[in-house]
Amino acid sequence: MDGSVTLQEVVMRFGDFTAIEPTSLTIESGEFFSFLGPSGCGKTTLLNMISGFLTPSEGRVLIGGEPMTNVSVNQRPTAMIFQNLALFPLMSVYQNIEFGMQVRGVDRATRRNKADELLDLVALTGSGDKSIAALSGGQKQRVAIARALAVEPRVLLLDEPLSALDLKLRQHMRNELKAIQRKTGITFIYITHDQGEALTMSDRVAVMSAGRIQQVADPETLYRHPQTGFVAAFVGENNRLAGQVVERRGELAIIEIDGLGRLAGCAGGDMAVGQSAALFVRPEHLRVVRPGQLDVARPEQPCIAKLESSPQSTLEVEVETLSFEGAWRMLEARLTANGERLRILLGQGADGAVELAPGERVHVGYNPGQARVLVDDGSPRLDTETGEVVEAASPGGVQAQEGDHVSPA
Amino acid sequence: MSAQRLLDWGLRFYIGVFFVYLFLPLTIMAAATFNDSRFPTIVPWNGTTLKWFGELWADGGMWAALGNSLMVAGGVLCMAIPIGVASALFLTTVESRAKPFVYGLILSPLLTPGVIIGISTLIFWRQFDVSGGLFLTILGQTTFISAYVMLMVMARLQRFDRTLERAALDLGATPWQAFRRVLLPFLKPAILSAAVIAFLQSFENYNTSLFVVGYDTTLTVYIASKVRTGLTPAVNALGLLLILFTVILAIVYETKRRRELKPKGV
Amino acid sequence: MFRQLKARFGSAIAMAVVGVLGVWLIAMVTLPQLQMIDYSFRPSLLPAEIGGPKDHWTLDNYVTLFNNEIHLAIFFKTLWSSVLVTLLTLCVSYPLAYFLAKVASPGQAALCLLLLVIPFWVNEILRTFAWFILLAYSGPLNELLLSMGLIERPIRYMSGDAGVLIGMVYAYILFMVFPLYNAIESLDGNQIRAARDLGAGSLRTHWRIVIPHAKPGIATGCIMTFMLAAGSYAVPALLGSPGSRWFTQIIYNWFFAGGDWNQGAAYAFMLLVLCIGFMSLVMRLFKVGLADIAK
Repeated sequence: MDGSVTLQEVVMRFGDFTAIEPTSLTIESGEFFSFLGPSGCGKTTLLNMISGFLTPSEGRVLIGGEPMTNVSVNQRPTAMIFQNLALFPLMSVYQNIEFGMQVRGVDRATRRNKADELLDLVALTGSGDKSIAALSGGQKQRVAIARALAVEPRVLLLDEPLSALDLKLRQHMRNELKAIQRKTGITFIYITHDQGEALTMSDRVAVMSAGRIQQVADPETLYRHPQTGFVAAFVGENNRLAGQVVERRGELAIIEIDGLGRLAGCAGGDMAVGQSAALFVRPEHLRVVRPGQLDVARPEQPCIAKLESSPQSTLEVEVETLSFEGAWRMLEARLTANGERLRILLGQGADGAVELAPGERVHVGYNPGQARVLVDDGSPRLDTETGEVVEAASPGGVQAQEGDHVSPA
Repeated sequence: MSAQRLLDWGLRFYIGVFFVYLFLPLTIMAAATFNDSRFPTIVPWNGTTLKWFGELWADGGMWAALGNSLMVAGGVLCMAIPIGVASALFLTTVESRAKPFVYGLILSPLLTPGVIIGISTLIFWRQFDVSGGLFLTILGQTTFISAYVMLMVMARLQRFDRTLERAALDLGATPWQAFRRVLLPFLKPAILSAAVIAFLQSFENYNTSLFVVGYDTTLTVYIASKVRTGLTPAVNALGLLLILFTVILAIVYETKRRRELKPKGV
Repeated sequence: MFRQLKARFGSAIAMAVVGVLGVWLIAMVTLPQLQMIDYSFRPSLLPAEIGGPKDHWTLDNYVTLFNNEIHLAIFFKTLWSSVLVTLLTLCVSYPLAYFLAKVASPGQAALCLLLLVIPFWVNEILRTFAWFILLAYSGPLNELLLSMGLIERPIRYMSGDAGVLIGMVYAYILFMVFPLYNAIESLDGNQIRAARDLGAGSLRTHWRIVIPHAKPGIATGCIMTFMLAAGSYAVPALLGSPGSRWFTQIIYNWFFAGGDWNQGAAYAFMLLVLCIGFMSLVMRLFKVGLADIAK
């Protein structure tokens, strides 16, 4: 059965507010697909358009290649798992699971067989007669899954279903969900603001912000090759240094940063000289360099923080705090040149042995091949301190001059 | 003893006096049933008798009035429950600028004296040549009892999680099935409570019924007319039976309600 | 409005909801009231004359009321007595509501509430009838007072307004206690304790903390009690005498003794105006809205 979902130029407006900018996307049949984004980014709106609770203002939704425009919620081949699960409190586990079959007129014996089968699948064998109130959080979760699967949907929609569970259970349920998806082969569309969930379970992830899909890719690509500043900041942790593009050199882009001079990183897409952009370096890609040494961590692989046009090849920082986090330590430091904060992950190798006192000045370097330069595209930024979305940056494209494009050599 | 404690004891004394005030008249009325006196009183006590129950039993007018009261109450239930539920559904579903106005209109029968409701019903139906009787009594009572039903159903409806409805639709139910299978069972306790209250409101109503009852008579109207003309302790006997009936109903209702308020055990 | 209902319940239920609600609000709530008002502005005519030249709007029915000193006096007495009943009920209920909400233990409060509710499940007529027996000329109360030597001769409670007032306070007290109780209960007990700590006496604590907080409850209780008292027919009919007639009794007589429904409608409308006037006054004084009253 074809469980593919296609969004064709869908737009959702509520009065003057545009919740979903024009969006097109195809989710393959049998895929575990996640929409990841902060609250208010429009991911739940998208889900509601697929399930039929909302009708797009423009464009259309296709499921299995068929347009859903005139198909109402109760006739779509989708089933939803709600954030609060929405189990019917006055019904037993059996009644909950059989509800969808019953309203379709499936006979009693068939219903009961199917319900038992599903209870086996979600490891709740024999719990059919229990009341909902008698179940634990994890059990309710499983009943919700069984109830949704009972209507044999081609697409299962999951709206942050794990958010009410505690951490341990949440991680356990991730594995279960993934296993159930593999067993059933149904398309799973998963909504979450928790990148851990999205990255561990999904085949592909769409990162969303402000009603727009920022990037669609498999988890590893998202992490290694973010295409926008938002994705770079939202997925995983990243240090952000803002400046202007001054040069393209092959894969690399060079940006000029106030007080720091010119820094290089892999160019994430086309960019023009003069455009506002930012350099993103992940904490684990920054290395501490002692004076006199090039790199304590990897002497064999020199870090190139800056280019030959400046005298130094590293950045000077002042240590603020060093916190122990088990397998690694996190160094927080400020750039002496412009006071911006950097987070540097010290692993267990030679790095881990470095002794640093607050106030001490050290140099850090990185490999430009592991850093990314991304232009400001006007999408919202994340506050690196709090992880909250801040105002959209002014679109960088405006500052770029026409015909100033520098094509990679 | 501090002033505060004195005040507290004063308050407790007051509460005691209050409850005596609350129950004494009813007790005396009940006691008068058993006094072998032609007029209902407890002084002087002429000896204990049960004969007034026999008189009551033999009173055909009383039985007719009781039948009428039950018929009216049944009619009122049939109309006021759907109206009250519909109003509650309307008020919790619709968001519009007209809503405060509709809300005010729905509440207005509660803030209108019962006699006015009776009078306006009587006048309104005169143009259709319907004169006072049980039918108008049902209509008049329904006018304000519906608002009570609405308040009780609304209180529960406001606690309803609307994602349950969405879940039902998502699982393939029609809106009717979602209503029938999910919302209605949730509302059932409130509807039952409302039915009990509506029944009593109707059964006990006097002010509205007085104007619309015409040549028929309900039990309350019958009692009132007996008190003014031809008062015997048979009225007390009827009162006592009604009190017993309502008290039992009240206790069942209140304990049930209290049990529901408590969180459900496993 | 219909669209939202249809989206939630489907068109069948949406139509039923709108239909049922519409019939109730239009045919049972609004039109009868308007018809009554219309009636009050028309002369009483024979059936043949209706729609004829004499059938026009007039203020005659109201002029009748203002020219009839006795009726006018009863109207104002009803107003004044209802205010008195309301104030008396408020005074009697306030300590009780405060006790239930803030002083009593939860168990005591639950028991008291149950005890309080039970008599009010009993028919208003029967409750009034109980007082009728108690207050009778040769009834238990007079007997008791005589035997204690407190009075020389029996008192005729039911010849003046005293019996009516006592009966009404008794009949409507619950409509005052419950709104008061609900309002006071929502007051944070710490506020009372804080006021005491700051040295405020009991009276001042009530005046400055509890009563202002209970304002919506007081307003609701007063509006309900006044409306019930002014619109009461049973209590004055049972506990009053011909000399202490209530305005509702005059209205009744126009309908069923005088046979002039138009005149009766005018009187009824005056009663309605009185209640609406009192309600608006209280709502303005206490600065509460309709939504607070429905709680």
